[in-house]
Amino acid sequence: MSDDKPEAEKPAAAAEAAHDHADHDHTGHDHDHADHDHSHAGHGHGAAAAHADGHDHGLAHTTPVWLLFAILGALLVLTVATVSVTSIDLGAQGNLVVAMIIATVKAALVCTFFMHLLWDKKFHAVLFLTSVLFLILFLAMTTNDRGEYQHLVDEYRAQQLQAK
Amino acid sequence: MTEPSTAPEAVKKVSAPPPAAIDHGHDDHGHEAHDPIHAANPHLAHHFDTPQQQFDAGKLGIWLFLLTEVLFFAGLFCAYTVYRAMHPEVFVYAHYFLDTKLGALNTCVLLISSLTAAWAVRNAQLAEKKALMLNIVITIACACTFMCVKYVEYSHKFHDGLLPGKNFQPKEQIWELKSFRDRHPEAAEYAEKLSKLDEKKAAPAAPAAAGKAEPPKVEKLERPTEEELEPLLAAGLVGPRSLDPSAHISRPRMAHVFFGIYFFMTGLHGFHVLIGIGIWIWMLVKASKNQFGANYFGPVDFTALYWHLVDLIWIYLFPLLYLIH
Repeated sequence: MSDDKPEAEKPAAAAEAAHDHADHDHTGHDHDHADHDHSHAGHGHGAAAAHADGHDHGLAHTTPVWLLFAILGALLVLTVATVSVTSIDLGAQGNLVVAMIIATVKAALVCTFFMHLLWDKKFHAVLFLTSVLFLILFLAMTTNDRGEYQHLVDEYRAQQLQAK
Repeated sequence: MTEPSTAPEAVKKVSAPPPAAIDHGHDDHGHEAHDPIHAANPHLAHHFDTPQQQFDAGKLGIWLFLLTEVLFFAGLFCAYTVYRAMHPEVFVYAHYFLDTKLGALNTCVLLISSLTAAWAVRNAQLAEKKALMLNIVITIACACTFMCVKYVEYSHKFHDGLLPGKNFQPKEQIWELKSFRDRHPEAAEYAEKLSKLDEKKAAPAAPAAAGKAEPPKVEKLERPTEEELEPLLAAGLVGPRSLDPSAHISRPRMAHVFFGIYFFMTGLHGFHVLIGIGIWIWMLVKASKNQFGANYFGPVDFTALYWHLVDLIWIYLFPLLYLIH
């Protein structure tokens, strides 16, 4: 089945056309079935289009290879940073906060570029951020609740110790 | 996910899609032969009108799945947060038993596999069969490397008795660990001294006293005073709720719970990696059959999205478990 070598070699014109679509390409997903091979799924961001590699292809944006390697480089640098920062004392919670900030920057890089959210429909980003929002709510409420009841736990433990 | 439809074998070229006059109705189910779009796209399932619609539906589906995955792991992150808030000293104590180098190695391996996964999507879009297969193979190789490193870590922990619950019987004490000695030589020496004290005291009844944040003061048993505990406090091994005169001061109370959390979090993550390897092998088979191109690369894209989420979770697990200060 060496038959499907579809539109791999017809990008230039399509990319131009797609660029024109940039402004309305995320507005909904029942749009223009008719001209779907003009790859409306992608853009919204001229930066990628400026690079010869970064044009749209078929159904979605194609990420240029140089960008993938740049993101990997940034992720590896941040990994080294997060390991080396542990040897510096930043106070009781300081190190945890810094580690979480670095992790979140890394996660944002992965989501934005590797997971195509930058060029994808915004609805997918909203979906994902919703899950993160509920994760934060979950952790925040539980932590808060735990703090509220800590004194009861401490009193109980003190009693237990005295009973011994 | 998309299912390849049974298209006529005769169709040799995926041609440009048909003119604007596509009937958006769905009355043509099961009549691919009469439908130029389906005839032109062998992998377009009959219940979709266009490759774009099929791709968008699959993409929405995988994002919804990733959303449930985040919430799935949220439970474990919640357990971690609550326990760490209550017993910070347990996490400080236990993280010395983890090998940061192996954790960092695994982080790099997963990051590299994320690059090759994202690259594979590009290859699929551009119908670059060889590059696609190469990138998938590298991704699988990285995933296997990750699992091998995890195997080394797990077997080391099993061997050393670093297990949850009653099975927590560490063979090595914290003052014997190089990572701890290097950072807190004074505390290491002191903890060792205390442990000998603990052994001697095993028999006599534990002294009553000590509520919250009050160090045990039992002069006759030569129990440490607050000043004497200073090195341990500085090393973070003694927390506000760990002081228990009846317990071994040389090891935080409930240290085993850390390993429960550790094994559940890394275990569930490792299970996801294993499933990912399986799906990537499936993609490799599909790629070898030359199925992917500009109009059909959804499966690779969706697998890569899942793979990136597994990477995302590790990005958080690594500092939370290995890099505790």
